[in-house]
Amino acid sequence: MAEQDAAAQAEGLLEQIADTALDDDYYVVRAGDYAQSREFNTPLTALVLAVFALLVMMAAVQTRNDRPATERARSTLISDVAARKELQTEREATAERLREEVDELSASANRFDPSYQNLRIEAGDLAAEGPGITVVVSPSLQRNVDGGITDDDLQILVNGLWYAGAEAVAINGERIGSLTGIHFANGAINVNFRDIAPPYTVVAIGQSDTLMQRFEDNPAGRYWASRQKDAAVQFGVTPSSDLDVPAAPKKRMTIRHAKAIKGEE
Amino acid sequence: MIPVIGLAIGIVAGLLLEPTVPRDLQPYLPIAIVAALDAVIGALRALGERRFNDRVFVVSFISNVLIASFMVYLGDQLGVGSQLSTGVVVVLGIRIFANAAAIRRRIFHA
Repeated sequence: MAEQDAAAQAEGLLEQIADTALDDDYYVVRAGDYAQSREFNTPLTALVLAVFALLVMMAAVQTRNDRPATERARSTLISDVAARKELQTEREATAERLREEVDELSASANRFDPSYQNLRIEAGDLAAEGPGITVVVSPSLQRNVDGGITDDDLQILVNGLWYAGAEAVAINGERIGSLTGIHFANGAINVNFRDIAPPYTVVAIGQSDTLMQRFEDNPAGRYWASRQKDAAVQFGVTPSSDLDVPAAPKKRMTIRHAKAIKGEE
Repeated sequence: MIPVIGLAIGIVAGLLLEPTVPRDLQPYLPIAIVAALDAVIGALRALGERRFNDRVFVVSFISNVLIASFMVYLGDQLGVGSQLSTGVVVVLGIRIFANAAAIRRRIFHA
């Protein structure tokens, strides 16, 4: 009920506004000086109309005058954005150009400095390819106590390969670099701190026939021959003309404490 | 004739002098104009109905402008400036339309 009343009242209010749109004063017949005043053509009316026109013109003029200011601010912003974008493109182009230059320079530096390249290969910093041998070793199948492959076995194998003239060695894809260790931890052999599992594939790059011959003749070869005979570990060597080894992980190439001695570079 | 001259004088003065509204009063100018428009349309209707009275016109004009501006000012002070100006515009708009409709009926009989 109350809501209906309220609605009716609200409607009534709007209706009332519409109904009494003309000021009641116009309907009042006044006594006195203004009793008969129905005059439109008076200075008073003119004054009020002048004030009205002035108000409207003020607002219009002000709005029109303000527009250029906002317009100017906007166009300034737009040109600002455009300028910055241009600057950005320019800088990006410069960065790209400099990057290319750096690439080019480092490439040419590498190209013109074969001894540096050789040093990097020796240190294990570059992937390398060439002829060599692949040695595959795996534990004995007879479940004998000494039939497993230990870290010592692999160390002797790798040292023997170095001794036989290998220039780059990798075990199961882990390149042996200057700081690489081969040791037994957590139940597995790890190289470059990564666990590897049998069969162990050792790739050695060097002249394949002499590499094989010199390995068999040196103590490491004899050690492995005895391991084969006594513990039945599996050992196979295949020469190949095209082998490759990856670079050692960057982590294993990072020097933290050692510095070059000045004058001996 | 005199009122038309007054209107013209107001327009010309506004164009030539380019008076600026003080910054503090600027928010009230639009509402004041709507209120003044209400008074002017009302006066036109009264003129058509042959009950025009210049004194009533002047008083309604000034009071409309002042009250509308004051309401907006009050609303600003109370923090409901936009709501109150909406209300003022709605009421004045209804009145303007009602008066304009009355004028239209009188002129076109429709």
